[in-house]
Amino acid sequence: MQDLTTLTINVKDPWKDPANGWDVLDGRTITDNRTLEADVIIVGTGAGGGVSAEILSQRGLKVILVEAGKLKSSDDFKLDEGQAYRDLYQEGALRATKDAGMTILQGRTVGGTTVVNWTSCFRTPHETLQYWHDEFGVQGLSRAQLDPWFQQMETRLKVEKWAMPPNANNDVMKRGCDDRGWHSALIPRNVSGCWNIGYCGMGCPTNAKQSMLVTTIPGALDHGSTLIHSAQADTLIIEGDTVTGVRVRPLNDDKVPTGATVTLKAKTVIAAGGGIQSPALLMRSDAPDPNGLVGKRTFLHPTSFAFGLYDKEIAPYYGAPQSMYSDEFTFKHGVDGPAGYKMEMMPMHPGLSSALIGGFGERARDEIERLPNLAASIAMIRDGFHDENQGGVVELRDNGEPLLDYPVNDYLLEGTKRAHLSMLEMQFAAGAKEVRPSHSHAGYYKSWKAAREGVAQLDYAPVITGLGSAHVMGGLTMGQDESRCTVNSDGSYKHLNGLYIIDGSVFPTSIGANPQLSIYGLSARNASGLAEKLKA
Amino acid sequence: MDQGINRRGFLKLSAAGSAVLATGSGLALLTGCSSNDGPAPGYKHFRQQDVDLLTPLVGAVLGSALTDVGATAEDGMKAFDDLLDGGMPGTRGALFQVLDLMQLGAARWYITGTWASFADQSEAELTQTLTEWAASERGLSRMAFKGLTQPIYMAWYVKPEAAHSTGYPGPPRKIVA
Repeated sequence: MQDLTTLTINVKDPWKDPANGWDVLDGRTITDNRTLEADVIIVGTGAGGGVSAEILSQRGLKVILVEAGKLKSSDDFKLDEGQAYRDLYQEGALRATKDAGMTILQGRTVGGTTVVNWTSCFRTPHETLQYWHDEFGVQGLSRAQLDPWFQQMETRLKVEKWAMPPNANNDVMKRGCDDRGWHSALIPRNVSGCWNIGYCGMGCPTNAKQSMLVTTIPGALDHGSTLIHSAQADTLIIEGDTVTGVRVRPLNDDKVPTGATVTLKAKTVIAAGGGIQSPALLMRSDAPDPNGLVGKRTFLHPTSFAFGLYDKEIAPYYGAPQSMYSDEFTFKHGVDGPAGYKMEMMPMHPGLSSALIGGFGERARDEIERLPNLAASIAMIRDGFHDENQGGVVELRDNGEPLLDYPVNDYLLEGTKRAHLSMLEMQFAAGAKEVRPSHSHAGYYKSWKAAREGVAQLDYAPVITGLGSAHVMGGLTMGQDESRCTVNSDGSYKHLNGLYIIDGSVFPTSIGANPQLSIYGLSARNASGLAEKLKA
Repeated sequence: MDQGINRRGFLKLSAAGSAVLATGSGLALLTGCSSNDGPAPGYKHFRQQDVDLLTPLVGAVLGSALTDVGATAEDGMKAFDDLLDGGMPGTRGALFQVLDLMQLGAARWYITGTWASFADQSEAELTQTLTEWAASERGLSRMAFKGLTQPIYMAWYVKPEAAHSTGYPGPPRKIVA
């Protein structure tokens, strides 16, 4: 039996080194009103904000980074699920779409989702970029034009195909796809000296993951940037048709405003809060939006699951969480046909696993007790490429917090049903004894034939069809088509001067692959362009 | 079953459910079950009426997940309270709205299929309630079932002793120099 409990991790936390000289303000300690000035204010410290901050500060620009989440670093990462959800995830990992149809895992900490993602790095598929060009008038972002930016970020973040053998969970994907003659390949990961233990989702305890927390944010701080964490960007300061700063509310330990206001002034403001947060910032600010587009076209890669039971130990909680993927069905029906989906595996720790497995009482207990022998596959639907799939809409609660309304419709349900079948077929081909799709009314099927017949009888309806998301994209659509887009291809907001959007919210559709490298590459390009402009 | 009919049926029921939710919240406010009562003793977020309402349900949902490690329904309820700590005020507000609604017998009947308080149901009756509730075709019932059971599970199994009971040996040891 695999058991890592005797392994001891003792690494140095770069954030705890007083010699680093970094200018870091903790919002929890700010109770007085104050005003700070910079060349550029960046709201959000995830993939978009981190990359932008490093590039702009390297060019000699004074940058202030604002982050609503707390500063947590390797000394704080105790490989504890509950602690991680509370400290590192949006809404303590309780975020879901308005009708509870999809659960949403998204980061909320210094470094954003890059601190908790599973390290999979893919360049944006050519098909997706071509679709953006054809449908939204996106300019200058062909795959050939973006490749040098991807290359730059792959070097910066040490992205390489995983060189160690996949863990047993990911080996299921390889065996199953090989047996069916389906595509599968190794996943490139942004890690350096990875211990292969499997806790990427709880904050990397060894600093091997090249998240923004240990790469670009330290890089920006080394170049004179200021970081304010535990501080919520409340509204943009808009004077006429120009953004001149950001009103920030420091938050106490319970995420409640301390009552103070920090006024940040700059000629350039970058919204980099990611999908949901960036549109919400513009909405709270009453930013001009003549076509009513802000917050619309928010995408999630609606993801279904299949749980396979094996007669040998899988230990799905240990080892690099994602190392094999299959694009067999990603573009099978073209870019804009019936839903396509990318298949991967997911790590299974008890808290998240039990929530996804669901049920109640004795049956649920029996299922979770088989965790060491379970494998979990996932299928992420490419959303946003079809007339019947326009994504979700960001709303604001009465207190200004965002909420995503994204009804699960027939297009997604039909895709989920096919995705379930593909995953069931793949896992039986890999030798599973029993497999269950993520559907409240489904049990474990004992053969591929029984699974096919069982799925045919299931009622594919919202909520009972188990869907989740770990990728929030869109809401501030990029492109030259004024009737559909709010952001230009260089990241500038169409209806205000001085405002740039540099994060995953500008994607006109979902990516069709784990989005972090798409955000890194596009952000590097647009932050570099902005630096040229500001230094000219 | 025909997909279109199910979808249409779902939308119709959801609309009806929303109407009940809206009315129910108003009634809850009138009857004093507002969300401003403050947390119950020993809790950070759940109010006394939530603790009274949900503790028996938590016991039935988790079942032997609790008893196998010598824990009680109250331990499960406290774990749920801990999980809420990570949520934003709006996240908790939405949950409290559903719980306020479920204080009403009519709403409990609409959502779970039974008028009786969970506290007044035997273990066997609660299991029967959960069985029928889980199979309900009402959109609001499905939302409430998932919206309550999913966090109950996550809250419990993130606790190290519960996590260990699944066969998961636990994480490596982190030492801070």
